Amino acid sequence: MEYQWQFGEVLVYWPHFLRGILVTLELAACLLSMAIVGGVIVGSARHSRKRIYNWPASAFIEMFRNTPVLVQIIWFYYAFPVLIDVQMPGFVAAALGIGLNSVAYSAEIFRAGIQSIELGQWEAARAIGMQYMAIMRRIILPQAIKRMIPAFANRMIEIFKATSLASAIAVGELLFRGEELANTIYRPMEVYTIVAIVFFVLIYPLALLSYWLEWKLNSNNGRPA
Amino acid sequence: MTQTDSSFIEVEKLHKKFGDLHVLKSIDLSVMKGETVCLIGSSGSGKSTLLRCLNFMEYPTAGRISIKGSAVGKEVGTLFDAPTFRYDEKALSVHRQHIGMVFQQFNLFPHMSVLENVMEGPLTVLGKSSGEAEVEARKQLDRVGLSEKAAQYPSRLSGGQQQRVAIARALAMQPDVMLFDEVTSSLDPELVGEVLSVMKDLSAEGMTMIVVTHELGFAYHVADRILFLHDGQILEQGVPEQILRNPTEPRIQQFLSGFSSFNF
Repeated sequence: MEYQWQFGEVLVYWPHFLRGILVTLELAACLLSMAIVGGVIVGSARHSRKRIYNWPASAFIEMFRNTPVLVQIIWFYYAFPVLIDVQMPGFVAAALGIGLNSVAYSAEIFRAGIQSIELGQWEAARAIGMQYMAIMRRIILPQAIKRMIPAFANRMIEIFKATSLASAIAVGELLFRGEELANTIYRPMEVYTIVAIVFFVLIYPLALLSYWLEWKLNSNNGRPA
Repeated sequence: MTQTDSSFIEVEKLHKKFGDLHVLKSIDLSVMKGETVCLIGSSGSGKSTLLRCLNFMEYPTAGRISIKGSAVGKEVGTLFDAPTFRYDEKALSVHRQHIGMVFQQFNLFPHMSVLENVMEGPLTVLGKSSGEAEVEARKQLDRVGLSEKAAQYPSRLSGGQQQRVAIARALAMQPDVMLFDEVTSSLDPELVGEVLSVMKDLSAEGMTMIVVTHELGFAYHVADRILFLHDGQILEQGVPEQILRNPTEPRIQQFLSGFSSFNF
């Protein structure tokens, strides 16, 4: 049987896709900012030798890394509002569910990056009288960030793809808009193909960006990578 | 307590334990201004740990460390019949500014040029302007004979050159004392000489130096005093002639016999 593709019929609904794309981009922007800011904070706490910082950070990371992200989204949508007695829009629940999960992952990337720097770097900096914050800022992070980039770029791509999970709680992002349309005009083949292509077009530049950053950081005045 | 006017670093009843391992057992040591002291002994004797305690790369378990007459840290208790101290980051930073240290593994900052490596201390710790820091850094690079390498990155330098940059980086802080922790042990044999010669010049210029080394020839010619450590204690100390030529301790004789090619 030969399937008759009818993309023209579907593409006239482009404003519908566009609305979905905008929500996807908004959600992705929220998640990426959360992952970066939260990752640095939780990762630093996790790296600390002080239990008062280290333990809560470890508990947070383990909790969010070891439960499915879809369960987290649904929990924030259905259970959390009951606990705190506040109505929560789906967008916020999705941002919290996926976002906190991403914070846990990027915190581990951040910590691993810092720990990959030889102890001798800390010692040499301490030996000339530098203190913790200055050592972090001027000696450790400039070296560690280079090493974090491949892992973090990967994480960014994962985060972007995870936005589609928000469709499970009716957030009007790209996949959800696709489902709506597919159910209305009975053209699921074309609709979901378009959804997949749009996701690829949105995400592939991130992969290119990460290749470019790696290349740029590795070809720098003969400095070691 | 035997505090003399010209004593720069004073160590009293220093103990260091790593878990159950008692690495230093009540070390007393006093180093005079301008003196060059070499610490020798077999591996595991505690010589590197002693050196690293002096600028708190390791925190002493007990015992007092004073520089120019004032003890570092706040006295909080007693252990092994010696005082114990609590140290805060700021006080240690001030202490370390007076003490330069050079490591076996160089530990240069790989993301900075040679010049930036040497400028880092004056710039971020002493708060100098980048102009002043650069003048200071170029002066110290000149001192170790590496002016022409200022713009290079450390990875382009030989081990001996990297170690000389590390010495310049420490000197740029205008330290009162320099600590050397087996600084030639990871160098190819043909590169050892250039580093030792810089150290010899420093000693001749009157720098106070404490040197952990296996280079007995260097110790013999440069040291004012040699300390032999064994099992966390100073077994014998004295002028090079005495320790290396006429040691009374059989353990030192045994140690020296391991250096077959040892030639003064």
